[in-house]
Amino acid sequence: MNQRNFLFAVLLLATYVLVPAVFGDNNYVMGLIISALIVAGIAIAWALLGNLGGMVSFGHAAFFGVGSYASALLTMKLGWPVLLAMPMAGLIAVLFSAAMLPALRLSGPYFALAILAYAQIFRILATEMDWLTQGAKGLSRIPTLPVLFGIDLGSRSGSYLVIVTLLAAFIACYAWVRRSHYGTALRAMHDSEQATRVVGVNSVMLKAWMLFLSAFMTGVIGAFNAHTINFLEPDYAFGGGWSVLPIVAAIFGGYRTLSGPVIGALCIYLIDQLLFKSLLPTGHQIMLGVLLAAMILFAPDGLLPLFRRRHA
Amino acid sequence: MAELILQALYSGLLNGGVYALMAIGLALSFGTMRVINLAHGELVLLAAYMAYVVESRLDLSPLAAIPLAMAVACAGSALVYLLVARIRKNRELNSLMLSFAIGIIITNAVLLIWSGDIHSTGSVSLQEAVQLGSLYSMRSELYGFLASLVLVTLLWQWLAKSWYGRAVRAVSSQRDAAKLMGINPAKTELISFLVAGLLAGCAGVALYSSSVIQPSLGHALTVKAFIITVLAGVGSVPGVLAASVLLGITEALTVTLWSSAVQELAGMLLFLLVLFVLPNGLFGAARRRA
Repeated sequence: MNQRNFLFAVLLLATYVLVPAVFGDNNYVMGLIISALIVAGIAIAWALLGNLGGMVSFGHAAFFGVGSYASALLTMKLGWPVLLAMPMAGLIAVLFSAAMLPALRLSGPYFALAILAYAQIFRILATEMDWLTQGAKGLSRIPTLPVLFGIDLGSRSGSYLVIVTLLAAFIACYAWVRRSHYGTALRAMHDSEQATRVVGVNSVMLKAWMLFLSAFMTGVIGAFNAHTINFLEPDYAFGGGWSVLPIVAAIFGGYRTLSGPVIGALCIYLIDQLLFKSLLPTGHQIMLGVLLAAMILFAPDGLLPLFRRRHA
Repeated sequence: MAELILQALYSGLLNGGVYALMAIGLALSFGTMRVINLAHGELVLLAAYMAYVVESRLDLSPLAAIPLAMAVACAGSALVYLLVARIRKNRELNSLMLSFAIGIIITNAVLLIWSGDIHSTGSVSLQEAVQLGSLYSMRSELYGFLASLVLVTLLWQWLAKSWYGRAVRAVSSQRDAAKLMGINPAKTELISFLVAGLLAGCAGVALYSSSVIQPSLGHALTVKAFIITVLAGVGSVPGVLAASVLLGITEALTVTLWSSAVQELAGMLLFLLVLFVLPNGLFGAARRRA
């Protein structure tokens, strides 16, 4: 365990210091890495809901979009500081996710389809409420991240540090929930929800907490994205890509592990951007679909556990 | 105003007929296999594009595409079944993701082959206005509704009377007991997916002849079909028909009284209301959806 902690510290140091030191001057590479980490953030939130909550979500774009619009509007219309608006955007995403609570009482497929429908609804709302969101025209000139302790968080390297910190916090939180007695109860629920209920676990409540946590993480990531690209429109912020990419990433890396979603997101995003998009500029998502189908059929636990089993 | 509302009710009723064709297919495959086919709407869309191909390339009426559309949707549905049946571990969640992936593949394949443009039929006779009292519709809408009434009745009779129809119901209610009674569950499941494909094929042609199609539509169709199955509750063919008409009318009224952009919202609100108030659906047997 000590050796693992040491390895972890080395890895953390490398991601914080080495990556910006090596690639810091190359805006293109840093941009790619930041985008991949944004997908990784959603993938972690998705995997938390899928692994601990036992629920498959096809609509994380809804939380992502709500988070990005909330933070953009808070900073632009009410003049909130960016770093305060981002966690608030997470909370607003949680508030919106509460609309999904009735679906939690139902079994897996119902939740999955309900959330699919919600993502559509939020996109329509963002388009139609143009007095607030400026509709399909979109919001431009969203404030960038501020300068903090002499570091310009709005620069590529600064944004990189922010997203890495967010991911580290998410993973720590995920690991804590998994270890805590909530995690134990959730694992038991996975085996038999009825038996777990009988011993006095409020399973719907636990699932709701996982949904809230997942929505919060995704909302914060959405806010971060809004402040780094400084532009939003409904079709972009609520786009299906924000739902599909994280799923493929988490499944690819292994959604039952902590590091799987991050490694999966780095692989999938880079493959998608550098390979699939250059092969098929319009329908490149078809490759993601093929990849996802192949993973489910041949390696549903992801590639990481597959390698581990081979080497064990 | 009263006339407009009456007209909306009529259009909604006709639309609801086509929705029923999609929703019954989804409910049927869900019933036997406990698997929601998230690619179902995409299969309907694929069938609609078959009608487009037959009309634009062969210069025939979209109605001539029905056999081709049915064949394609059936083949797609069977493929979904065969792939989903291969899943051994954690079938409920993995089958959702697999059919979701198939949906993405179909949507993007349609986008790659036929581009993102919107298409609708050019047939004059199908688009001709038909008057019924003071109410108007396109001829294709009326045809679609009548065809769906016939198909739904046939399906209802098939489920109630025929050997395979009864096998489908038996597998839906108790898979293991059905097996003991000499029913082959795998074959029955395949048949339910094939029937779902047939209905999806007809729904696709009806969709193309009475409205516009585009690649991203498949997703919305799946959601619609699902909303209807939730509204209807499990295990009732007339219930699905009634719920489809209810959704069609709600959407049509929203368009008339508010705006066409929020049409999808109306269905969702209806859906939420039912989830909150009547978790077993409007017509479902009083049992838990597990």
